[in-house]
Amino acid sequence: MGSDAMHSKRTALILLLLALASRPASAQVDLTGEWSPRVYNDHMDIGDYTGIPINEPGRLRAEAWHPEQLDLPENLCRPHPIDIGLRVSVSQLRITTERDDETRQPVGLRLHVAWQEPEQVIYMDGRPHPSANAAHKWSGFSTGHWERNALVYTTTHLKEAYLTRTGVPKSPMATVTSRVHRYGNVLTIVFIINDPLYLTAPYIRESSWIFDPNQIIPPFPCEISPDGTIVPAGKVPSFLPGKNDVLTEFATEYGIPLEAALGGEETLYPEYIKKMKTMKVAPRTSTEHYRRAQ
Amino acid sequence: MDTRRVVLIAAALLVLLSGRFAAQRPAAGQGGAAGSARAAATDDYTGYWVSEVTEKWRFRMLVPDKNDYTMVPLNPEGRRVAATWDPSKDQATGEACRGYGAAALLQVPGRLHVTWQDDNTLRIDTDSGTQTRLFHFGGAAPAAEKPSWQGYSAAEWGGDEPRDRRDGQGGPVQDKEGRLIVDRAQQKPADYLKVVTTRLRPGYLQKNGVPYSGNALVEDYFETFSDPYTKNTWLVVTTMVTDPQYLIEPLLMHAHFKKLPDASGWDPTPCTANEPR
Repeated sequence: MGSDAMHSKRTALILLLLALASRPASAQVDLTGEWSPRVYNDHMDIGDYTGIPINEPGRLRAEAWHPEQLDLPENLCRPHPIDIGLRVSVSQLRITTERDDETRQPVGLRLHVAWQEPEQVIYMDGRPHPSANAAHKWSGFSTGHWERNALVYTTTHLKEAYLTRTGVPKSPMATVTSRVHRYGNVLTIVFIINDPLYLTAPYIRESSWIFDPNQIIPPFPCEISPDGTIVPAGKVPSFLPGKNDVLTEFATEYGIPLEAALGGEETLYPEYIKKMKTMKVAPRTSTEHYRRAQ
Repeated sequence: MDTRRVVLIAAALLVLLSGRFAAQRPAAGQGGAAGSARAAATDDYTGYWVSEVTEKWRFRMLVPDKNDYTMVPLNPEGRRVAATWDPSKDQATGEACRGYGAAALLQVPGRLHVTWQDDNTLRIDTDSGTQTRLFHFGGAAPAAEKPSWQGYSAAEWGGDEPRDRRDGQGGPVQDKEGRLIVDRAQQKPADYLKVVTTRLRPGYLQKNGVPYSGNALVEDYFETFSDPYTKNTWLVVTTMVTDPQYLIEPLLMHAHFKKLPDASGWDPTPCTANEPR
């Protein structure tokens, strides 16, 4: 072999190595470990849809929701989808590397949350999302990629569920794009929820956790009570349209115009503060203030 | 396969894959002298932005009731001070800007105007309370810096750190003493703005007199991105306030802002003690 050929082969090898090295790294940042939540616990009151760009069909569904629905046997141990599971108490979070069963090569990340123990695998090996007709699950189907040091993943195939713990609905058409960014020992996830059925604009919210290597996530056993022990057997708790008699209590308790408390895209922006001054506010009284803590 | 073809394929792969990686970087394009913070910026934060209040709505779009500090880890001293809140007195004594200090300013609904004051100082003006935050790159607070509502903010482009390899790919890259080995190949690219603020005048975490002290340390982490649904550009800030005088643990807060094409809607207001903005 002549020296030219040797030189060309060496050049080819260097270029190939460079090409391989320039692929996006499998892990830009180590997100794995135990993360302790710093939770807001917003939207815990019936009739509190504040800050949600909800549309009229979504509002109608929310107003029909009765808190006793959570006490029905079929709902007692119903998990939250991961995007809300990461926001309700106590959302201790564990992130681990997900590996292929046979090759043991990393294929993504697995999120495990304390409350109701939802799990979510974020595939980062380039696999496609399943067909639109594939089964929807509590954790949906997620694929992710790195945008510099932020993990960005999109979740589809989620079951119908809620945006809040007080019945604001999220349809099975919803998709969630999440951005995970680690700032030293602070982990922030930005959730961008797009629901063409119940929202007029993407709903953006954030959560943060603190790195806590000594955290222990306890098991979350859930036992279903027999039918009729909490809610009378055969009762279907709900409110008919216009018959929700606790809907106004949140607004009355806090002196908020009812229209503002019921959300909508306009209410998200600073200009709405001026508009609220022109709106009718019911006299403030202390109400039953139906609060759903769990 | 002959050698020339291998070279061509390798070169094409290099170009394609490098292009894919480069496409993930936003265009900062802000000019600035070589070596300056402005020239080193990996993201463009400049322009007009408007708050989108999707959480803690009743704490931000209204003035909450006295003693309503749900979601703030106040200690007993913090609760005692919160119970003394008197907005009329604040207004009368020139303390109306307590709710617009650096720890809480970005929680106040309003618009931001972000500009480069000079090559190493990023400036945020707010219409709510007509406040200005200056982010100084490349230095800590001067010793003689007097406490102010916005304090002294030291800024850096964050994320430019040794890459952590503990992902099942062979363990951390360490030297014999266990220190992470740093070289260019193992550096992550900077991709956020970190701001640490000190030298603060005592202020409020919420408009209803929930206090932070002059010893509070405020860390802000800014990130900007485009959302895949609307293609809007967003600015998200995660704020951590550490204040042992009034908090039992650091308080974490978030705010996000939508980018605007121009100054429309800019509505300067003075500091007001008993209004949400």
